[in-house]
Amino acid sequence: MTYRAPIRGAGWRETLSSVFNRRYREVPAVQNVSFALAPGEVVGFIGPNGAGKTTTMKILSGLLHATSGQVQVLGYSPWQRRSAFLRRIAFIRGSQPVGGSQELTVLDTLQYQRLLYEVPLAEYRRNLDELTELLELEDLLQRQLRALSLGEKMRAGLALSLLYRPQVMFLDEPTLGLDVTGATTMRRFVAEYAEQTGATVLLTSHYMADVASLCPRLVLIDNGKVQYDGQLDELAAKLSPYKLVRLTAPNADEARLREAGELIEASNGTWVLRVPREDVARTTARLLTELDVADLAVEEAPLDVVIDKAYREGVG
Amino acid sequence: MTAPAAAYGRPARVLLLIALRIRLEVLEWSGTWWFLFTLVIQAVLGPLIGMFVWSAVYPADSSIATYYVALLLVTVMTESFEQFTFSEKIYDGTISHDLLRPQPVVITTIGTNIAIRIWLTVMGIPIAVLAAFAFGVSLTWAAALSALPVFVLGATLSFCWIYTLSLTAFWTERVHSIVGFGWTLNSLLGGTIAPLAFLPGPLQDIARVLPFYGMLGLPADVAAGRVHGLPPVLTGLAYQAAWIAVLVTSAVLLWRAGIRRYTVVGA
Repeated sequence: MTYRAPIRGAGWRETLSSVFNRRYREVPAVQNVSFALAPGEVVGFIGPNGAGKTTTMKILSGLLHATSGQVQVLGYSPWQRRSAFLRRIAFIRGSQPVGGSQELTVLDTLQYQRLLYEVPLAEYRRNLDELTELLELEDLLQRQLRALSLGEKMRAGLALSLLYRPQVMFLDEPTLGLDVTGATTMRRFVAEYAEQTGATVLLTSHYMADVASLCPRLVLIDNGKVQYDGQLDELAAKLSPYKLVRLTAPNADEARLREAGELIEASNGTWVLRVPREDVARTTARLLTELDVADLAVEEAPLDVVIDKAYREGVG
Repeated sequence: MTAPAAAYGRPARVLLLIALRIRLEVLEWSGTWWFLFTLVIQAVLGPLIGMFVWSAVYPADSSIATYYVALLLVTVMTESFEQFTFSEKIYDGTISHDLLRPQPVVITTIGTNIAIRIWLTVMGIPIAVLAAFAFGVSLTWAAALSALPVFVLGATLSFCWIYTLSLTAFWTERVHSIVGFGWTLNSLLGGTIAPLAFLPGPLQDIARVLPFYGMLGLPADVAAGRVHGLPPVLTGLAYQAAWIAVLVTSAVLLWRAGIRRYTVVGA
C-alpha cells in the first residue's frame, strides 16, 4: 500500500514551479505484509507509531483499497465492501467508537442498527439484554450519543458493533483513553465474546496489558513490514533471555543474592533478581535451600520491556 | 418494518433503507431547528430580493410575484448541502462509519438530504404564505399539481448536481468554493436573479438547455402558470432526465475513482 504525496522545495521559485510542474513521492505505508488468521484466533497486531497497523486494518476492513497484493477476509475482497461481507465484520476504533447521528439516543441507534443489519427481533432482544448486562448499558440507553463520555461511547460502540454478532472483529486501540476499570471491562468483554462466539479478533493496542491479557499470538509490524509472527511467550523468550525471580526474604544477605543473579530491585526485604532462563530452576532451588524465603515467584520480563526492545533492536 | 428486509427485492430494500435513514435524520436534525432556520433564511433571500426588484421594474405584471413565491417554495424544498453533509465527512474521516455499513454510502447522503428538505419545507412554507399574502399572490392547486413532475425531477437534479460537485472533495480541500461556483451558476441561469424570460435571447436559449433552469425556474414557471401548453413541459422534462443521467453517470465515475484515493484521515 503506497500513498502519493505531493512534494516541493521551499521558496518562491519552487512554489511557482510547482503550479505548472507538480511532483509527487510514493510513500509506502505497508509492504509485503503477509499473515493469515484462523477462525476463532485472537491476535495482537502491534508496532510502533506509523508502523502500518491501522493502515493494514483499514485494508482488511475494506476502508482502503490496497495498491498491490491480495487480501481475503471471510472469502471476500474487502475493498469491494459487499453487503454480505460488511454484515460479518466489525471495525471498532478507540479514536471514534461511534459514528453517525450523535443527536440520537443509544437505544434509537441500536434499533436502527437492528434494521440495517436485519437482525431478527427475538435475536435483537436477546442480544440487547446480554449486551446491556455485560457492558452495563442500562443507564446509557436513553442518553444521546453526543452526551456520552469516551468510556461510555466505547461501551456503546461495542454494543452497536456486536449487536449483529460479527464473525471478525478489528479492534484498533479499543482501550484508548479508558480508565483502569473501563479498560478491564473492555478486555474481559472481548475475551468472553471471542470465547462464546468463536469470533476472530485482530487487535492493535499500545497498551501491552491489552495484548498480554487477550492475545496468545502476536504479529509485530514495523516500517510496514512484519517483523515477527508467532506466540507471545516465544517472543518474550527470544528477546528476553532472562526471567525475574522475585523473593521475599527479610533476613537475606545481599552479597549472597548477588551471587545468584543480577539484583535489579530491593525494597523492604523483597528482592528482584534477573536470572538467565537456563539457570532459573537451579537458582530458585539454591535460594530456597540457602535462604529463609517467605515467598518466591518467577516472572517473565514485563511485556513493555520486551516489545520496546523489539521496536528498538528488531526481533532478529 | 419487522419483517426481514431480505424478503424484499433489492429496490424495495434500498427504499426501506432510505426511509429508515430519513426517519433517523429527521430526528437528528430536530435538535438543531435554529440552525435550519438560518438555512431557510439564506434560501429565501434570493427569491425575495428577485421578487422585490422585478416587481418594482414591472409593477403591472402580477405573474412575477407568483413566479417568485413558487420559486421560493421550490428553492427551500430542493436545497442541497452535500458539501457539508458529505464532503466534510471525507475531510474528517467520519465517512469511514458509512463505508462500513452494509448499504451504499449514498443512501445516508440521500436520507440526510431529504430530511433537511423536509425541515426547510416546514419552516419555509409560512414565509412563502406571508410573501404571497403581501404581494396578493394566489397559486392555484391545478398549476401546482401540474408542476409536480418537473418539481420531482428538478429536486433530483439539484441533489445530483451538488452531490457530483461535492465528490470533488476526494481531490481537493476547496469543495466549498467549487459548490459556491455551482450555486452562482444556479442563481444566474436557474431563474433566481431574473426569470429566464428576462434574460437576453442567446443566454436564454443556452440557459434553457443547461441543467440549472430545470432545477429551479422550470418548476416555478409551471407552478406559476407561466408555461403554456404541454410541449414546453415535455421538453423541460426531457432536458431534466438527460441531465440527471449525465450527472448520475458522472457521480458514479467520480465515486469509483475517488474512493480509491480515500486515505481515511484521522480514523
